[in-house]
Amino acid sequence: MPTTSFKQSTEQSTGAARIGEKRILFVSGKGGVGKSLIAAGLALELTKAGKRVLLAEIGETSYYKDFWNLSKITHEPTRHPAGFDIALWSGETSLREYVLFYLKMERLYNLFFENKVMRSLVNVAPGLSEIAILGKITSGIRKVGPPMDYDVIVIDSYATGHALALLEAPKGMMEAIKFGPMGTHSREMDQVIKNPNLVGYVIVTLLEELPVIESLEFKAKLKSSLGVDADIIANKVMKSPVDLPELTVLTSSPNPGLADFAKHLAGVEERQQKYEQELRATGARIIEVPLIFSADPTTLVEKTAEALRAL
Amino acid sequence: MDHKVIVCAGSGGVGKTTMSAAIGVRAAELGRRVLVLTVDPAKRLATALGLELNDVADKKVPLVGVTGSLHAAVVDSKYVFDGFIRAHAKDSDIVERIMKNRLYQQMSTTLSGSQEFTALERLLQASESDQYDLVILDTPPTKHAMDFLTAPQRLSSLFSEGITRWFSGSDDKPKGLIAAIVGKGTRTVLKSLEVLTGGQFIEELVDFFAAVRSIQKVLRERSLAAESLLTNESTQFFVVTSFDAAKLTEAKFLQGQLKRMGYRLRAVIINRAFPLWLPESEHASQNPSASEVKVQTFFDQFRTYYKARYKLYEEFASELDKSVVLARIPEYRQDVYGVEDLKTLAHTLSESTHERR
Repeated sequence: MPTTSFKQSTEQSTGAARIGEKRILFVSGKGGVGKSLIAAGLALELTKAGKRVLLAEIGETSYYKDFWNLSKITHEPTRHPAGFDIALWSGETSLREYVLFYLKMERLYNLFFENKVMRSLVNVAPGLSEIAILGKITSGIRKVGPPMDYDVIVIDSYATGHALALLEAPKGMMEAIKFGPMGTHSREMDQVIKNPNLVGYVIVTLLEELPVIESLEFKAKLKSSLGVDADIIANKVMKSPVDLPELTVLTSSPNPGLADFAKHLAGVEERQQKYEQELRATGARIIEVPLIFSADPTTLVEKTAEALRAL
Repeated sequence: MDHKVIVCAGSGGVGKTTMSAAIGVRAAELGRRVLVLTVDPAKRLATALGLELNDVADKKVPLVGVTGSLHAAVVDSKYVFDGFIRAHAKDSDIVERIMKNRLYQQMSTTLSGSQEFTALERLLQASESDQYDLVILDTPPTKHAMDFLTAPQRLSSLFSEGITRWFSGSDDKPKGLIAAIVGKGTRTVLKSLEVLTGGQFIEELVDFFAAVRSIQKVLRERSLAAESLLTNESTQFFVVTSFDAAKLTEAKFLQGQLKRMGYRLRAVIINRAFPLWLPESEHASQNPSASEVKVQTFFDQFRTYYKARYKLYEEFASELDKSVVLARIPEYRQDVYGVEDLKTLAHTLSESTHERR
């Protein structure tokens, strides 16, 4: 049994499994904070810790394809050069698989999806896409569908609002349909995503006003709606090489360029500390990932993974 | 700025809302009567403009020393959808039935296409009134900018004649499911759907489409009107993007899509393209202290990093159609969240767009 390099934080208030021991990790946060990079970093770090990892994107189009300049990312997992598998699960591909597996009738399944009406229905039916995707994500744990030989699945999830809609879809579906397979499956999914030993929630944020506000709102909603806690990853943190008092001295440096930069850094440092305190006040565990001076995807993901290991 | 509608498109988190507000401020300064519409669960514009979360009606933004005016409103999906159905359903029975349907309730509150529809409906209403010279739509947050443009099609296919008739039989009254369906293939499909979802879901679905059927004509008309507004020559698209290789690739793709769909791309705004505080001058200190050396080294890393990024920008700029205005907005020291900040941003925006003209 490989051990994970994530250390148990003493601040962690719940008795839930450590982040590296969960089976599913949902990575969400405000748009533009770097969710995909953090999810990739987590996937790499867990792979290095000896786990069999799947990094899954959800929705219609892929971010990682352009990011890593890959030829394609499909519903079926493929091996990424970094050692983990990668997949893209859309509502349509997930439902297709579900129907094929559940109905076990290829002829019927073809009929089902070649039907134009059915296709538009899948695209617009309220909650159906969300249920299908969540069904795919939890299928390994629920032991339905094709086997999923992974220790952990890292989900590069939607931004907060849509992520909440995804996670609340089973509840909505359970209320709409009490009987039948969809109702049963929705109930099972709901149980899985509420189990802190199986599923971990990671909120990515920047130490800036609007992302912090949105992260705190999202964290509170996860708690009230699903009863789950979330860890917070502060991304792109500017780590000053000297402390605040020293920086303050440098702001009056005779070198005007340096003085101006020191002023800027001091301002950033103060703001970051303020927002970090706001986040800590919720009792959340906070992991910091520094701003990485690179545009190269491999370097970015490796340094992110390193930062995640340090904690 | 003499167009009547500006649509700000872009993927989530790139600063669309703030840019929409800044453009609004600028247009108001130029004497126009402006409305900014935002569809944002995090209510970012609300923070910037001092709106309350539930300000679904147009609210005047206090701006000092401008000749025009600025209003802002939050597009609440459920509020707009409910209002739409109340206004267009034939009788109160149908209104009642739609409102009670759980699929409708879910649909009007979740994100699957309804936000886009209601945003466009709200835009249409505002552009039809003569209260404003310019309406700016901050598009709903989507992972990918393209999702917004395809949403009206997806929604209109839901309300297309075929699908509603398919579910609700040949007249307005909902019939028994199987009885209403002609054709063996369809029946098989529906049966398999029933196996999959359970009969109750099918019932809800049939009921939903039956109820919606009575308003489908007007729904289609409004979808078409929205489409024609978007392709009208007085409507301009602004693409907002962040400075990230993958996002720039996406912006490039979006640019092509807009053109293909017959929309007018007016400007691309690259947000947080470079830090305003990054000084150009280089002064080496004599006998630097240990901490000076550390900070200087850190600073040099920054500069190298941003220089490399500038190449990315030049590549992007060289591939952009010359008729499109390209603006780079610096990264500010502070978050933008007051009207004064928006004014500063508006001026930066207008200056950086003039550069290239």
